[in-house]
Amino acid sequence: MRSPFHSEQEAFRFVVLVIVAVLPVALAAVLGPAWLAFVVLAVILGAVAVRVALSRMRKLRDVELPVKMAPPHVGSAAERRVLVVANDTLGEEALLCEVERLACVPRTHVLLLVPALISPGARLTGAVDGVLDQARVCLKTALDRVGHQLVVAGEISEADPLQAVEDTFATFVPDEVIVSTGWERAASGLEPRLAGLVRERFAVPVRHLVFEPGAAAQEPDRETEARYRRESGQAAARNFALKALVGVGIAAALLMSMVALVQSSERDEARAASQAAVEQASALPPVAKLVVLKVIPEGKLGPEGEKHDEFTQTEFTVRAGQPQELRIDNTDTVPHSITAPEAGVNIVVMPGTHTYTLLVKQPGRFLWFCTFRCDEWAMEHPGYMSGYITAS
Amino acid sequence: MFSRESAAQAQRVGLNPQPWRWSHPRVLVEHPDEAAGLAIASGLRFAGYAVAVCPGPAGHGRCPLTGPAGCAPAHDADLVVSSLGYEHEAAREVLRELRTRYPDTPLVVEAPSDADAGLRELLGGCHQLPAPATPEQIVAAVQGLSGQAAEEGTGGA
Repeated sequence: MRSPFHSEQEAFRFVVLVIVAVLPVALAAVLGPAWLAFVVLAVILGAVAVRVALSRMRKLRDVELPVKMAPPHVGSAAERRVLVVANDTLGEEALLCEVERLACVPRTHVLLLVPALISPGARLTGAVDGVLDQARVCLKTALDRVGHQLVVAGEISEADPLQAVEDTFATFVPDEVIVSTGWERAASGLEPRLAGLVRERFAVPVRHLVFEPGAAAQEPDRETEARYRRESGQAAARNFALKALVGVGIAAALLMSMVALVQSSERDEARAASQAAVEQASALPPVAKLVVLKVIPEGKLGPEGEKHDEFTQTEFTVRAGQPQELRIDNTDTVPHSITAPEAGVNIVVMPGTHTYTLLVKQPGRFLWFCTFRCDEWAMEHPGYMSGYITAS
Repeated sequence: MFSRESAAQAQRVGLNPQPWRWSHPRVLVEHPDEAAGLAIASGLRFAGYAVAVCPGPAGHGRCPLTGPAGCAPAHDADLVVSSLGYEHEAAREVLRELRTRYPDTPLVVEAPSDADAGLRELLGGCHQLPAPATPEQIVAAVQGLSGQAAEEGTGGA
């Protein structure tokens, strides 16, 4: 298969550009989340697409200036080199007669260049060999018919026809170019506009010979060439619009995939966080929704055999930041309290049955006690009028 | 009159249109007539020069040489042949820019013998050929100037 690059410099530039483009994507993939790599990739692809689109639009607007170039003549001053570009008209008798006539001119070398016109589809599917074989057969038949093997050579190119001509300027260095086409572009033939493109690009005489089966060669007039140029421009604009549409579609699909990926990633993270919270919660000690207790004066026997005031429950287990309801029946005639200064808790328990809210903001184990003067011994001993709040 | 700073500045700006693809002695031919430009190019090619033919301001309205972009063929040319006809200001502007940006590039100018004072001042120091000049005359002038430039280069070295 033919290399798509036309010089080592071009290939080297491509490699450098690929490395420069891939590096940020790889860095984003390694250092950040997966979606960041996609975003970076999308940005790079977008920049490339914009660059290509601008370049194409510039070509369509014909901003490229009409500067023609040509390399120096090769060989002696009397020598002349003619490049004949043909594809579907290669078998035309009139063209072969013209080649034969040129070959008969002393010190004239002729190169028959046959661009193989391989479609992108054929390139993708690898059906290139068939097209090339067909071109080889056509070229061999033409060369056999013309004869003059010493001065007439043939070459097949897989490249775009204009690019093939440009490449030939570097190798064969023609002094004149003949582009042979039909009046209208055939499916497997050269575009009639090719002659105009070669004329606009190279500073050598360019002849456009149009061949129809069985007829003599004709040269299109200026109006016809202008029509070819116009139609080619329109076709290029259509082609560009189609490709732009496809590009926008691909970009939209890529963007939607990225959005879906980001959302999916966020959902996964949320799910994981929720799962972790559930697991954490299940690992904690259980918490009752409502704790019911009483304050009973002289309700509990102390170790010394005397009865002391008591809260019937003195150990409270709560969740940090979550309110816990306490229904307390204070059977005494005076108020008591559950006071834990380190936890920021101070519940005044009035006589009678009331519901209170116990809220501890930070986790920990905190001592609480009653601050109302009652049973002094009981106030200093957990399990009586004192105890602990455990917040997890 | 023609500063080297402006020439250096031209190196920093972007260049249009396509650059030269050949490294032989390179001659830029500026001629508004396509056939005449090709005839000169043919003569120069057979004399061993790579050529670029530009129609000048007539071909594309505004020459990039007179704008900030710059002109790649002019930038890298070893010699310039200018046959733009200098009755229009646009052509004179191109000539002025060539002289300002590339003061060291030899310039062959095909100019009318009855040039006005402004044009004569602009052409000072150029190799002038009376218009109309034949391709042979232009090729001879180019060969003479490049030979001279080569000798100066050798002498300098």
